[in-house]
Amino acid sequence: MSAQFDIAVIGAGVVGSAIARDLSRYDLKVVLLEANTDLGDESSKGNSALMTEGHDTPAGSLERDLVVRGYQRYMTEAPQLGLPMRKTGAIMLAWTDEQRATVEKLVEEVHSEGFHNVHLLEGYEVARRWPQFRPGVLCAQWMPDEIIADPFSTPYAYVLDAVTNGVAFWRPWRVSRAERNARGWRLSNNRGDVLDAGLVINAGGIRADMVESLVGHSDFVMRPRRGQYILLDKPARAIHDIIAYPTPTPASRGILISPTIFGNVLVGPTAEEVEDRDDRGVTEAGLRALRQAIDDMVPSLRGMPVNTIYAGMRPATNHSDYQIIPRFDERWLTVAGIRSTGFSGALGIAEHVMSLVFPNVFDKQPVNPVRGVRVPDLSETSIRPWADPEKIGADPAYTDMLCHCERISVGEVRDALNSPVPPASIKALKRRTRAMFGRCQGFYCGARVQAMFDEAKVKRDA
Amino acid sequence: MRDPKVLIVGAGPAGLAAAAELTKRGVSDILIIDRDDAPGGLPRFCAHPGFGIGYSAIPRFGPEFSARLVRAVEDKNVRILCSTTMTALDNGPAVSITGPECGYRIIKPRTVILATGIREANRGNRMVPGDRPEAGVLTTGLLQQMVARSVPFPAAMKSIVVVGTEHVSFSAIWTAHHAGLKVRMMVDDGPRISSFRPVGWLAKAIGIDIRLRTHVAAIKARDNRVSGIVVDGPRGTETIACDGVVFTAGWIPEVAAVATGPVKVDGQTGGLAVNRAGLTNVPGVFAAGNVLSPLKASGSCAIQGRRVGLSVAKYLGSQS
Repeated sequence: MSAQFDIAVIGAGVVGSAIARDLSRYDLKVVLLEANTDLGDESSKGNSALMTEGHDTPAGSLERDLVVRGYQRYMTEAPQLGLPMRKTGAIMLAWTDEQRATVEKLVEEVHSEGFHNVHLLEGYEVARRWPQFRPGVLCAQWMPDEIIADPFSTPYAYVLDAVTNGVAFWRPWRVSRAERNARGWRLSNNRGDVLDAGLVINAGGIRADMVESLVGHSDFVMRPRRGQYILLDKPARAIHDIIAYPTPTPASRGILISPTIFGNVLVGPTAEEVEDRDDRGVTEAGLRALRQAIDDMVPSLRGMPVNTIYAGMRPATNHSDYQIIPRFDERWLTVAGIRSTGFSGALGIAEHVMSLVFPNVFDKQPVNPVRGVRVPDLSETSIRPWADPEKIGADPAYTDMLCHCERISVGEVRDALNSPVPPASIKALKRRTRAMFGRCQGFYCGARVQAMFDEAKVKRDA
Repeated sequence: MRDPKVLIVGAGPAGLAAAAELTKRGVSDILIIDRDDAPGGLPRFCAHPGFGIGYSAIPRFGPEFSARLVRAVEDKNVRILCSTTMTALDNGPAVSITGPECGYRIIKPRTVILATGIREANRGNRMVPGDRPEAGVLTTGLLQQMVARSVPFPAAMKSIVVVGTEHVSFSAIWTAHHAGLKVRMMVDDGPRISSFRPVGWLAKAIGIDIRLRTHVAAIKARDNRVSGIVVDGPRGTETIACDGVVFTAGWIPEVAAVATGPVKVDGQTGGLAVNRAGLTNVPGVFAAGNVLSPLKASGSCAIQGRRVGLSVAKYLGSQS
C-alpha cells in the first residue's frame, strides 16, 4: 500500500514552499517533495535577496501581476513569520545622455503603470545624498519602496509553516517516474519509494523540464542563466547602503550593488546562459565584469575585503514569462520558468495557484486553524541574541560564540539543529544560522560547527 | 563582575606573555578573555617543533609552548575567561564582551591590550575562481583544528595540494602528513620558497612537487568534492588531480571586532596602528603581536607581548 495524498508539490524552492504553505490551509493531505537533501538548495540559494515591487518586470505579463501581489503579501506576512526586511530603496543610475533618455522614459512608464512612489532624481540630488557613486551621474530613477530581505530564512519559514500545519516534507525524494492512475498520479523515486497523489504541482525550478518530460510534456526549454556574485565584508556597508544598478540595456539588466540584510554588500549578478544547469562555477571573466561594475558605480568599494565569491542559477526558459500551465484533466499543474523573480513573486504565485486549484480541482475553502510559526531573525539590524538580556538570562548558550565573524552562538546553532525541519547539510545549517557566512568563511569555526552538526545527526538518527 | 585593571583580549603568545610581564612588575587584577574554548592561541593546534624561538630557552612543540605560557600566569591573580568574545571597543576604554560566564556586559578596565592575532586568507578572500564544493577546501587553521578536535576528514580526501610556501605551509604539511593525507604538490606565486630552504628540501625528499611562480587559476569539483585544481605557471596551464586544497598564509590581522570603533588601523599593514610603546590612538588601549602586522613567529609575538606588558606597567605606574 503506497502513501496516499491529495496533492504532491514537487520542489521545495521558494516557489514550491510557498505553494505548500498556502495548501496547508486546506483540509487536504499534501506532500512537498524535494530532490535534494534540503530545501532551497538550487536557484533559491543564489539570488540577490531583493523584494521588488514589480515595476522592473514586463508590463502586462503574468510575472508582473504575481510579483506585485507577491510583494504586497510579503509586506504583511513576512513580519508574522519573524522574517526581517529593510526598506533601503533602489536607484537606477544614468551617466550618459543615452542612459538619461532611457531613465526618463522608464520613470514615465512606471508612473503610468501605477507605481507612484517611483520618481526621477537629478544628478546633483543623487551626488548630495549618495556621494559614493562615480561622479557625473546625470539623473536616476529612485524607487523608495524596494526592500532587502533574507533569502534563506524565507523558504525555510514557508516550509516550517507548511509542516507545522500538516504538510509532509519528504527529502531527498527525487521523482524518477510518474504513472497515471485512476485518482491521479503514482510517483516513484530511485529507491523504490512510491506515493499516489490526486494532483501533482510541478515546481521543479531548474529541473522542472525534467519532471515535465516524465509525463511527456515539453512546452518549454530550460535556458539556465548563471549569475556570479562577489560578497564584500561588513565595512563596505559604511560606504554603500542602497540598492543600486546601472541603466539597463536591451541586452542586460546590469549588475547590482546592494547591501544585504546580514550587513554586507553584494555585487552581482552576471547573466550568462550556460549549457550545464549545475555549473555554478565562478570564472575569471565573471569576476572581471563584477570588478568593472564596482569601478563603474562605486569606485571606493574597490579595496574592500571580499568574504567570498559564488554563483547562482536562474531557472529561465525559452519564454520570457512564467510558465504556469494547468492541465487539470490530467491532474497536473506546471509552475515553471520563474526566471529571476521567484523570491519576490513566490507568494503571488502561490495565491494564483490556489485560485486555479480551488474550486476547479478541489471544491474546498480554507478551514484549518492556522498554527503560527516564527523563524529566528538573522538580520544584522535587529538585536542579536548575544546582546539580548532576556535571551541570555534564559540560556547562556546564546553568549557562547561559535562563529566569531558573524557572531553566531552555540545556542543559535543548537536551536537550528533542533528545528522540526532540521538542516540536512552544513551548507543548509549555514543558511539557517548565518554561521560561517563571514569573512573567515568557516575556516575558524568550521571544525566546531561540523562537530555539533554530526552530534545532532547521530542523535536524530538514533 | 568587577572591572579589571588590565583587560587582555586574546590568550595567545602575545597576550599571555604580556600578562606574565605585568605580574612580574607587580600589576595584579588582570583579566584575559579569549573567544576560543581554551587558552594558548594558534600554537595549540600546531603539533610540531619550532615554537617560541627567542622567547623560550629552547624551541618547543606548539602545544607545549602554549601550555608553558598559560602555566606562567596561573595563580598570579590573572583570570582567564574563555569562550568570551569582545564585540566592541570604545573610548574610555569601554569594552563590550559576551560569554557564558560573564553574559553580555560593558567593562571599563584602566588599560586594554589587544592581542587578537591573525587569520589566513581563505579561498573566498583570495577570489579563486572555479567550483565551490562543500568539502575539501581548507586553510591551515581549519585543517589543524579538524585534526586537533578529531573531526573526521571527508571520506574521499586522500591527496591534497598546499598553496603557499611559508613556515605555516610546512606546518600544514606536517599536520597533513601525520593525519595520513598525501601532499601532492605545493604551489606558490613567488620565485622562491618563503620558509627556510632546508624545509623545502625536506618536502621534496618526501615526494612533494614544489611549483614556484605558479598560481591557482581554478578549483574543480565533482559530486560536491574537490576533484582537482588548475594551476598556471612556467609549464603552462595544467589540471592537477587532488581531493583537497589547503590555502596557507596570506595573513590578515584580526581587527574586525574593533574596525568599526575608534581604534585606528594602519593602511599599509592592515593591522592596528601603534606607537613605539605599543599604544594605539585610543588612550589606555595597547596592542601586541600579530594583530599589529602579520607574519611574526610565536616567539616574536611573545617577545613583543612582554615589551608591551612592560609599557602598560609603566603607564599604570605613571597614572597612579
